[in-house]
Amino acid sequence: MMMAKVLSMGVNGVQGYPVHVEVFCVGGIPGMEIIGLPDASVRESRDRVNAAIMSSGFESKPLRTTVNLAPADMKKEGPSFDLPIAVAVLAATGQIVPPDPSVFEKTVIFGELSLDGHVRPVNGALPMVISAKECGYESVILPEQNAQEAACIEGIRILPVSALAEVRRHLDGVVEIIPQEQITYGELSRENPVSVDMSQIRGQKAARRALEVAAAGGHNMLMIGVPGSGKTMLARCLPGILPPMSFEEALETTRIHSICGRLAPGSGLMVTRPFSAPHHSASVASLIGGGQNAKPGEVSLAHNGVLFLDELPEFSRGALEALRQPLEDGLVSVSRVRQQARYQSSFMLIAAMNPCPCGYYGSSTRNCRCTPQEIRRYLDRISGPLLDRIDLQIEVDAVPVQEINESEAAESSAAVAERVAAARRLQQERYRNESFFCNAQLNNQAIRKYCSLSGEAAALLNAAVGAMNMSTRGYYRVLKVARTIADLAGEEQVSSAHVAEAVQYRELDQKYWS
Amino acid sequence: MKYENQVYDAWLAAAELPCEWLIPLLYETKGSREAYEAFAAGDASVREMIPPQSFKALSGFAREQAMEGFREASLRHGIKSMTILDAEYPHCLRDIPDPPGILFYQGNPECLTAEKRVAMVGSRTASYAGLKASRKIARELSRGGVTVISGLAYGIDAECHRGCLEGGSPTAAVMGCGLDNSYPAENSGLKQEIIDHGGIIISEYAPGAKPIGRHFPYRNRIISGLGDVVILMEAKIRSGSMTTIGHALKQGREVYAYPGDPTSLMTEANRTLLREGARYFTEAEDILNDMDWLDKSKPIRQNIGCSAPEVPENAHEKAVVSALARGALGFDELIQATRLDPSELMGTLTMLQIKKLIEILPGKKYQLRT
Repeated sequence: MMMAKVLSMGVNGVQGYPVHVEVFCVGGIPGMEIIGLPDASVRESRDRVNAAIMSSGFESKPLRTTVNLAPADMKKEGPSFDLPIAVAVLAATGQIVPPDPSVFEKTVIFGELSLDGHVRPVNGALPMVISAKECGYESVILPEQNAQEAACIEGIRILPVSALAEVRRHLDGVVEIIPQEQITYGELSRENPVSVDMSQIRGQKAARRALEVAAAGGHNMLMIGVPGSGKTMLARCLPGILPPMSFEEALETTRIHSICGRLAPGSGLMVTRPFSAPHHSASVASLIGGGQNAKPGEVSLAHNGVLFLDELPEFSRGALEALRQPLEDGLVSVSRVRQQARYQSSFMLIAAMNPCPCGYYGSSTRNCRCTPQEIRRYLDRISGPLLDRIDLQIEVDAVPVQEINESEAAESSAAVAERVAAARRLQQERYRNESFFCNAQLNNQAIRKYCSLSGEAAALLNAAVGAMNMSTRGYYRVLKVARTIADLAGEEQVSSAHVAEAVQYRELDQKYWS
Repeated sequence: MKYENQVYDAWLAAAELPCEWLIPLLYETKGSREAYEAFAAGDASVREMIPPQSFKALSGFAREQAMEGFREASLRHGIKSMTILDAEYPHCLRDIPDPPGILFYQGNPECLTAEKRVAMVGSRTASYAGLKASRKIARELSRGGVTVISGLAYGIDAECHRGCLEGGSPTAAVMGCGLDNSYPAENSGLKQEIIDHGGIIISEYAPGAKPIGRHFPYRNRIISGLGDVVILMEAKIRSGSMTTIGHALKQGREVYAYPGDPTSLMTEANRTLLREGARYFTEAEDILNDMDWLDKSKPIRQNIGCSAPEVPENAHEKAVVSALARGALGFDELIQATRLDPSELMGTLTMLQIKKLIEILPGKKYQLRT
């Protein structure tokens, strides 16, 4: 009778939790049984482990082996238990004999095994390493390709391995694995490539300005325009002008992407803000998260970044309504029979849509073929409560060809980003004692407190409300956006010029939804 | 007396008898109630006056259930009716070919016999300029005491009704379906407004009739028939508006065509009509003058409830206004023309909008208000 225990990690929601891999070998009919609520991919690890042990030059003893993954009441998924099971089997059969047996209590091991004994990368490495550190373990043995991802975590030794044999040599004290060098977040984020630069956009001066205001205040934005007017390109510029992610934000974001397997193998912590652009056929579960085994959805993948919904009215009603909770609270609670999870999802929503079903309402080049009823029905697919959460609405018209060819270079993302960052700093300073940090998050009470208008500006806003049939809802949105415009100008008092500009970002409201 | 008059009228109208059968029948029986009673009693002489293909429909509608349905619809929607035998039936319709034998209406029937009546027609998918011109001309005609008649469709029709309401005279709308039906649904609010302001909604179709395609070109003869003159605001050659003009010519009505934008495809029918001798006009005054309707003591172009137009104040506003004087411009074009930066320009545009000096066209073009 032989027994061994090895530490590993599982993932629930976005948190890792310790899993004890216990192996018990005894005489009898040879075979391996895995217990502790394994799913199919965990149960299959039996065959991978056996093959990897034999191809790494170890001996597969004809014993009856029981593998227990404790705690036994949590569902285990994924192939990351291959490596700890193999190590535990080798330890139980006396093929790994560490000089200090307590090493197994201090070292977390995870990784997938290939049949030839090599270690393959797994999903969720970052949350597992973070949890291992929080639990106070000394080191973690993980697949080589996951090492970069975890390299920013301080206070735990990260030991990348590429094969099972390497793990044995390390544990037996024959050849020590060289720990992964720590990469500070500052070094990583120094190189922050921008996918689309603002200087590539020709014309669209109104939209550019609106994008800058949206970035400065964290406001959600809706772009309405004919096909080919550049809505998608404008949206793609946004991550590049938002302030760089802080270390904590980068961790949160990378963690979610790690769980979903969205990180390229060998890549490190994400330093650019994510840009998630789900297709309009997306289901509610894929957008919000969930599924049989709860997984984060697109809104969480856009956490700390940008969620771009092109063709907004084409999304299913259910999907659009489900966006309301994350937009309001910055997180999603997913409840399933077997699992409850909360995923962070604080993102900027950028939505784009055509002005009518055929796309050419108001176009200068083509005639629209839609009846007023069709247009109304198309616009009605976006509910008032959703619209209520979108502060800026702009109309984007196609750029005339002569402007595409204009040689005058437009301002680059870097220049815009500087102004945005300055405006964000002002907001952080102003809201340091509050539960929110940017203008977009102000509620009506906070708007009254922080967006006080001079007499002249108030008179102007009242006149604008009258002239443009603005709703109360629209009134508060204008105040919020005016606050951001003032911040961009570096002014504490919201003046009439700021209000006058802010009004321009609402006037679609009355035009399309009146 | 079992039912109200309009129920018997609905019975007869629901079968949609051709005019050449319906009108002799009405004259012969002295009304639809009498026709119903004779029909129900199996009077052979009445049956002879009914086209054989309509016989089945009339017996179907004569059943109690159908009659109750007509009664309920007319009560709920306040639908009344008149026939060609009635004194209140508009005289101008009596002398057109194919006059409607029965008219259902909601609202005030007096405005059908008003002294000055103008029918205005145009496309449902008109240009913005066309819509604006229609509203303005309808408003000015209305202020000159004219009742504007149109078809309550989208686009030009609706703008003409709105303009007429703004000018203070009642307006009349001719529908192509039963009056219990609001078609198009978008204009149901406008329909109510017309009734509330002393206007009238009429239809030759019984309550319950659906807005089917063939009704509309046929009802156009009523629109043109009700007007002393018929105005074409904006249409293509092959369009419903042109059928109205065709009816107008057959009925001997004076036809006016608005010139519109000479380069636009939307006004091709206007140009054709003008070439063929339709009367040219650009202002409501032209028509009022021609018809000798002009009352010099009442100016038709004063702005109601509007103070003196504001003027641009600062240099920015002046720059934008002078740039727009040459025509509507988009945002980027305005930036090029004025050399303002985007945020300044946005603020300036808001100020000009509040002062009602400019307006926004679909497609985000800015234009001076005229």
